[in-house]
Parts: sequence; C-alpha cells; structure tokens
Amino acid sequence: MQPISLENVQKNYYLDKVKVSALKGITLTIDAGEFTVIAGPSGSGKTTILNLIGCVDTASEGKVVVGGKETGTLSERQLTDLRLHTIGFIFQSFNLIPVLNVIDNIEFPLLLQDKLSPKERRIQVMKFIDRVGLSQYSNHRPSELSGGQRQRVAIARALVTKPQIVLADEPTANLDSVTGQNIIDLMKEINTAEKTTFLFSTHDHSIMNQARRIILLHDGRIQDGRLQETP
Amino acid sequence: MKVYFLIAYRNILQRRVRSLMLAIAIIAVSVIFSLLLALVQGVQDTLIGNGTALMTGHVNIAGFYKISQSSANPMVTKFPALLEYAKTNIPEADIIIDRVKAYGKVISETDSAMIPMWGVNMEQEDKVLGRLDIEPSTDPKNPADLKRLKESGTIALFAVHAKKLKVGVGDMVTVSVPTYRNMTNTKDVKVVAILKDVGMMSQFNAYLNAGDVRTLYQNKPDSTGQIMIYLKDLSKLPVVEARMRKDLSEKGYSLMDKDSAPFWMKFDRVAGESWTGQRIDITTWEDETSFLKWIVALLSALTFVLTIVLSIIIVMGLVNALWMSVKERTTEIGTLRAIGMQRTKVLWMFVLESLILSVTSTAAGLIFAAIVCQALNAAAIPITDEAFKMFLMTNDLSFTFGFTQAMITFFSLVVFFTLGSLVPALSAAKLSPIVAINQS
Repeated sequence: MQPISLENVQKNYYLDKVKVSALKGITLTIDAGEFTVIAGPSGSGKTTILNLIGCVDTASEGKVVVGGKETGTLSERQLTDLRLHTIGFIFQSFNLIPVLNVIDNIEFPLLLQDKLSPKERRIQVMKFIDRVGLSQYSNHRPSELSGGQRQRVAIARALVTKPQIVLADEPTANLDSVTGQNIIDLMKEINTAEKTTFLFSTHDHSIMNQARRIILLHDGRIQDGRLQETP
Repeated sequence: MKVYFLIAYRNILQRRVRSLMLAIAIIAVSVIFSLLLALVQGVQDTLIGNGTALMTGHVNIAGFYKISQSSANPMVTKFPALLEYAKTNIPEADIIIDRVKAYGKVISETDSAMIPMWGVNMEQEDKVLGRLDIEPSTDPKNPADLKRLKESGTIALFAVHAKKLKVGVGDMVTVSVPTYRNMTNTKDVKVVAILKDVGMMSQFNAYLNAGDVRTLYQNKPDSTGQIMIYLKDLSKLPVVEARMRKDLSEKGYSLMDKDSAPFWMKFDRVAGESWTGQRIDITTWEDETSFLKWIVALLSALTFVLTIVLSIIIVMGLVNALWMSVKERTTEIGTLRAIGMQRTKVLWMFVLESLILSVTSTAAGLIFAAIVCQALNAAAIPITDEAFKMFLMTNDLSFTFGFTQAMITFFSLVVFFTLGSLVPALSAAKLSPIVAINQS
C-alpha cells in the first residue's frame, strides 16, 4: 500500500473576485494503515485537505500523491477510477441513496467496479453488513434507519471495495456522543483488522483524542502534526 | 444495469404526483397522435378503397386514340390483345376488368348534370363496383339492383346526382354525349340503382352499360376506356408497372410518358401533341386519384404540426421535471460521482428515468388508442356535415390503426422524449462531485 503525500500544497478559491487561500503550503505524509484525524476550527482547511486527497478537487499549487499517482496529472475519468478503486468515503450526512435498501447501497460501489460475480458480490456485501451489525436491517431503506445505523451503512459502503484509504469528513457530527463513539470504535476496529488507512476530520476533542495521529490545522496551515498513544 | 433500473424506477415512484402528471400528459399525446394517424390512414384507405372501386384499378392500361392531331379520345383500341396480355403475364393480378369512358350530360325532367361516366360489364364487376353501398329504393315495384346494369338502357347514379336530378330507382333519364366527330348522341336510360355517396368522388362518377356507351360513341366492340388490374398485394405495384411498360414497349405499343395525373387532366396536353393513332398510358391508382392527394397531405400536415406542438409542450414538462429531480438529487449525484461513478453513467441514470416513463406511458397510450379506434369503428359514427363528408370521402368516421403505424408512433415519441431528457441529464453528469457534496 502506498502512502499519501502532499507537498507544498496550496488551494485557492475565488469568492466573487476575492481570492481566498484555503490551504497555504501544506506538506504532509500519511503512511499506509494510519488512523489519523485532521482537526481544527471551522474554515481551517480540514475538508479541503480531505477533498484533495479524495480526488474530488485538485490543488492550485503543489503535489498530491494518492495511491502512487499524482492527482494533478490525471484526467477526470482517471480521477473517478482512482476514487472507485482506492478510496472509500464516509460523509457527515451519510449520503446514502434514499431509494435503495441497505444491501443495494452497500453493493453499489462493487457494481461500479464490476469485478465480482453477483454471487461474490452478495457474499462480500453480507460480510460487511454483518461487520457493521446491521444484518437484521439489510432490507431497510435509509429513511427506516437511525442516524447511527445510516452511518454504519455508509462505513460498510466505504469499505466493501476494500479500499487503501477511507476518508471521513466529520463522521460523527450528526450523531449523539454514544453513537459517535460506537462509530469511531468500529472504524478503529476495522483499521486494526484490515490495515486500511483512515483519515477523518473532526473538531470534537473527545473523538480527536482517540486517533493515533492528530494533524492540527489553523488558517490553512499545519499547526501541529503529533503522534499520540491511544488505547 | 439492474441497479440503474431500480434507482430510476424507485425515483419515479418516489415523485409519484409529478411522475403521474407527466405520464398522463405523455399518454394523452400518444392517444391524440395515434388517433390522428389512424384517421389519416383511414381516409387514405377509403381513398384507395373507393377510388379503386369507382374509377381506377391498382394499375391500368389506358391511353388516347387520336383520329386527328387536335383530338384526344380516352380510349384503347383492339383491347382484347391487351386484356389477354394482362391475364397471362401478370400473375400478381387478382381481378382484371375493363371499362369504357364517357363524359356527358344526364338530363331528367327537372334538371341536368354534366358527369364523367363509365360503361361497365357487370359480369366482371362483382368484387369492384359491387363493393359500393346502395340506397334502398323508395318504390317497392322497382327495387334497386346494380346487376341490372347488364341490361342495355340502364344507369346507376350516386345519391348526390339523383338528388340534384330529383330521380329515383325506376325513373328515366336521358344521357347526352358529344361524340368524337362533334355530334351529340343521346339515349334514354332507366335508373336501376342509387349508390350511397362516398364523399368528393361521388361527384365524378356514374355507371352505364358498356355496350350503351360504345353505341353512344359509335365505337367498335374491340375498343374500351381502360383495362383495370387489381393486385393481390399492393406492394408489388411498382414492379408490375415497370414490367408492363417494358413488355408493352417490346410488343411494339407506343407508350405515353409517365405523368402522375388523372386521365381527364391529360386531354389538353394530348390534344396539343402532333401524333395520331393509339398511344398506351400505363397509370396507377395514385395517378388517377392524385387530384385528391391534397386531402391526405393536408391531414398528415395537420397531424404532424399538432403532434410536434403537443410533444414540445410535454418535452418541456419532462425537462422541467428532470431538472427539478437533478436539483433535488444534487447531493446524491455528488456522492455517486465521489464513490466512483463516471459521468456517462450519471447521464444514463437520468436518461433511463425518462426512458422508463416515456416507454411505459407511450405504450399505455397506444393500447388505449387501439381500444378507442376499435370502439369508434364499431360505433360507425356517421358524418353528418356534408362538407366533412366530402372532405373525408366517407360517410362514417373510419380509423385504421395498424402495427407499423403503432411502432412508428411508439419509437418517434420515445426518441423525442428521450432526446429532450438529455439536456437535464447532461447537466447532472457535468456536476462536479465537490460542488454536489458541499450542498449536503
């Protein structure tokens, strides 16, 4: 598995005609299998970093390498392929497809990959449904699930393709503290078992402290990038 | 593939009211389009049916005989040889008859009318003239009987002329025709049948005994007006026509150039040409009824314009609905793009939604239209307005709803609606995942 690296990355936006610098020269390496949190106040650039690593956005300057590929040199189609085969996404608002049930939602990335037979797909999907503890809800639609259950479906969807990297943008923001803790425990468990790189953003200190590495951002710059011992 | 269908299908169901409104609109357009096409086809079928019964075969051996440079007599001399040719060399033929042409005045005690007439041999006409409906006679002593045209001194008139001349079955009228030598010959004939009008074409036809017409014109028995050939399969017409031209030319007959006009529109041209003697004119039913083609063309144009206008309105509704769907599903699209769905698949997902809606609704519309056509035909709704009766060339509304026509309607509407849906689908496919995700 390849590390993620950002080299002197800058990201500028234009609000009307005013240039806004969201990231101001970020250099960072995240090794495979890390369980890392990106923390910082609102507007510090957490989501922008995740977007750049997630290949849904490109840097204004600098180099972003994901899965051994420099994202700035890839076409739209290649970026989409990289996302499909290398990255799993977990969103703050879960972002499940409302008209599909749990099984279909989780199966969707596998269908896009088109690598497995229907039988293999089904086995894989059921394995992950079981892993996130939703076996009895497999035929439910998102609207029939609680927030925590929806986020579990989103985690299963992100992991079902066995990606190298899972990116989660404030995955617990819309959940109560107990459910949020359960979700973090689940992510840590999978990180340990599958050696999948987890990178998530949060500004919740209790969640932040459970990461093995914290990258603290402030005003588009890394303020602190310490490693910490967590249980 | 299944999952795209599932998403599209469930999205349609989820937006139930909007989808239902659109479906009803598409069904309405399909029904209106189908009914109009069925009406046009019905009129065209009537035109073929009535036209071929009244005045033309599917293909005809006709022509002009000129005794002087300035004359133009619509007749074929020595026709038995041509009749024999037709019987032995056109295996595609179902019925072959010949009729003598006449044009003159029919005079009653109260009025007169100039009418193009046909001299017929009733032995041959069972399946041709016999197809027309006859009005019941008001005089029980003189029942209407078209077969009596076998007898000399008989005439069958259309109701429009009978009304003008104020005659009924059993009444006598005088037929007066100007001969080719500029004399006028007359004959008293008895009305043996009044034919029900079949629109505009009723104005241009009346039927006499063939022998009487020859006598009036002082023609030889081996002359006729035209040999009318009816084919088993109308699609063979171009092949048969081409072969007849080739064969007759090789047999030494002098042929007229192809001119898609009825014989009575060719008089001036023929009279202005310097040749004399016999020239053969191979014509088709389309040539002989070409003066009525404008009706079908007008109805087709009206159908086309109306359908286009209605379809554009529906497409605008469809585009609007899909646009709303794209707006509502921006986050979903962004999520799908983020997890690795290519733009083409997003496009396909939205097009599929419109495809499902248009395919099911158009199919439902066609089934409904077919049922309505059957019901309307069974009801045989009479046309009461004389102008419409003349225009549509029929006494009852007739709808012809065929499989080919249904398929054309189905595919043209589905393609049209699907093309319309491409605009919002493209805008969905172009959405950047980051913009879409940020909306959440």
